[in-house]
Amino acid sequence: MRAENVRFAYGKTPVLENVSFDVQAGDYVGIIGPNGGGKTTLLKLLLGLEKGAGKISLFNTPLPAFKDWHKIGYLAQKSPVSQSRFPISAEEVVLMGLPQRLGSVVSVGELKQVHAAMQKTRTRQYAGTIFHDLSIGQQQRVLLARALVSRPEVLILDEPSTALDAQSREMFFELLGELNKQHGVTLLLITHDTGEVGKHISKFMYVDKTVVFFGTKEEFCHSAAVAKHLGPFAQHTIDHLHNHHGHCPLGESCEECAHGHAEGNHA
Amino acid sequence: MLEFLSYGFVQRGLIAGTLVAVACALLGVFLVLKRLSLIGDGMSHVCLTGVAVALLTSTSPVYMSVPIVMAASAGILKLADKFKIYGDAAIGIVSAAGLSVGLLLTALAGGFNTDLLGYLFGSILTVSTGEAVLCGVLLVVVLCGLKLFYRYLVSACFDEPFAHTRGVPVQTVNLILVMITSVAVVLAFKVVGIFLISAMLIIPPVAALLISCTFKQVLGLAAAFGAASVWAGIYLSFVFNIPSGATIILVDLALLLGAYVWSKLYAL
Repeated sequence: MRAENVRFAYGKTPVLENVSFDVQAGDYVGIIGPNGGGKTTLLKLLLGLEKGAGKISLFNTPLPAFKDWHKIGYLAQKSPVSQSRFPISAEEVVLMGLPQRLGSVVSVGELKQVHAAMQKTRTRQYAGTIFHDLSIGQQQRVLLARALVSRPEVLILDEPSTALDAQSREMFFELLGELNKQHGVTLLLITHDTGEVGKHISKFMYVDKTVVFFGTKEEFCHSAAVAKHLGPFAQHTIDHLHNHHGHCPLGESCEECAHGHAEGNHA
Repeated sequence: MLEFLSYGFVQRGLIAGTLVAVACALLGVFLVLKRLSLIGDGMSHVCLTGVAVALLTSTSPVYMSVPIVMAASAGILKLADKFKIYGDAAIGIVSAAGLSVGLLLTALAGGFNTDLLGYLFGSILTVSTGEAVLCGVLLVVVLCGLKLFYRYLVSACFDEPFAHTRGVPVQTVNLILVMITSVAVVLAFKVVGIFLISAMLIIPPVAALLISCTFKQVLGLAAAFGAASVWAGIYLSFVFNIPSGATIILVDLALLLGAYVWSKLYAL
């Protein structure tokens, strides 16, 4: 997944400028940044939901020519349910994650895939329930099953854990970690929850109108660009990461820690 | 009791009315769920332009209105997409344009006459055989389209951005949906009149949505409500000698009320 000099504006208001990065297969990228920094817009550009300037390639194919959408799973920030009662079961919602084809008949193979994805997100018991009647957290897990049902190689998630309780959130991130480590699924995840996700993420991307930082977790902790951009909040974000581990991700080799530059729980 | 069925013009009206009501109800399900239900209202106002042009040029109002309403519907989608304005605002703009041009042309044509009033308030009993056949063709197109593009349509209605990421050509699906709706609206103005067309697109689907548990049930019930309202409406208008278009819509409203009560009784 590659972006080269990508730009986007709403009218004359620039949202993203000169965005370039290269996400490798197997990466688990945590996208962080302030509200209004362009994180969601960036994901929409990658998915072709917004059209900007610059070049985006998916699986080495320029975005306009990309057709293998089943290789990409997507989970949006907001549940799509409107005020109207959309009479569709959770099972049918998950089915929408498979490549859409003509006709209305659902094959046995498709149903098996749907049930396997629901099993993975522990939503199999809601298969026949009207999606609208599920709680927000249950809906979010069903939507994760929809994102997973096509067995994607890349998962793009926009703050997926906001509506989840603590237990579901833990299960959610464990599952994402498992998909990344055991199945090699590449993940791009917008999150404000650096503490919870920190133990799984391999790279951070800090987005604030442009990509301020993109690198490993260890580089992030000691990045001058991040420190300059975030000011006092940099330490807070880094502490969040370290709190979770109880030690600096660089361990004894961390010169910053050895010199005691960082405070708080920075071990 | 069924004496009214022996009249040829009643039979034609019933057949055409049933066909167009079922087509409108099926299309309406998707329009309501996509929050485009008022597009029928906008299109019906544009119909006035088509009727006025037809009266001015002594051509068929139905055939003249079809291309005009189709162009207006495409205009609504373009306005909403290109100028990033809300769908209801786009409908309002096109609707106002259609109504003003229609009124202007009507004035040029010498003002309102009985023909125009027939289109405004509906004249189901004047439906010609050709128009009844056209209603049949419309329903066949709607049913085939539903069968073929069912998964695309449901997916695009439920979650448009996600459908896009599954390769569903969302904009094309939307365009086809409103194009077919344009034809349905033009054919429906003979049945219930320009003022009440949108009710045929909105009320049966909303009633069905209140009491259905599956999407296919919604489609079936909406179609049944649409057809039932035409039959009951024509029968009541014949018995009490009242306008058929308005009666059909009042039956629709009674069905909606019944569906609401049902949904409350059975906690749906």
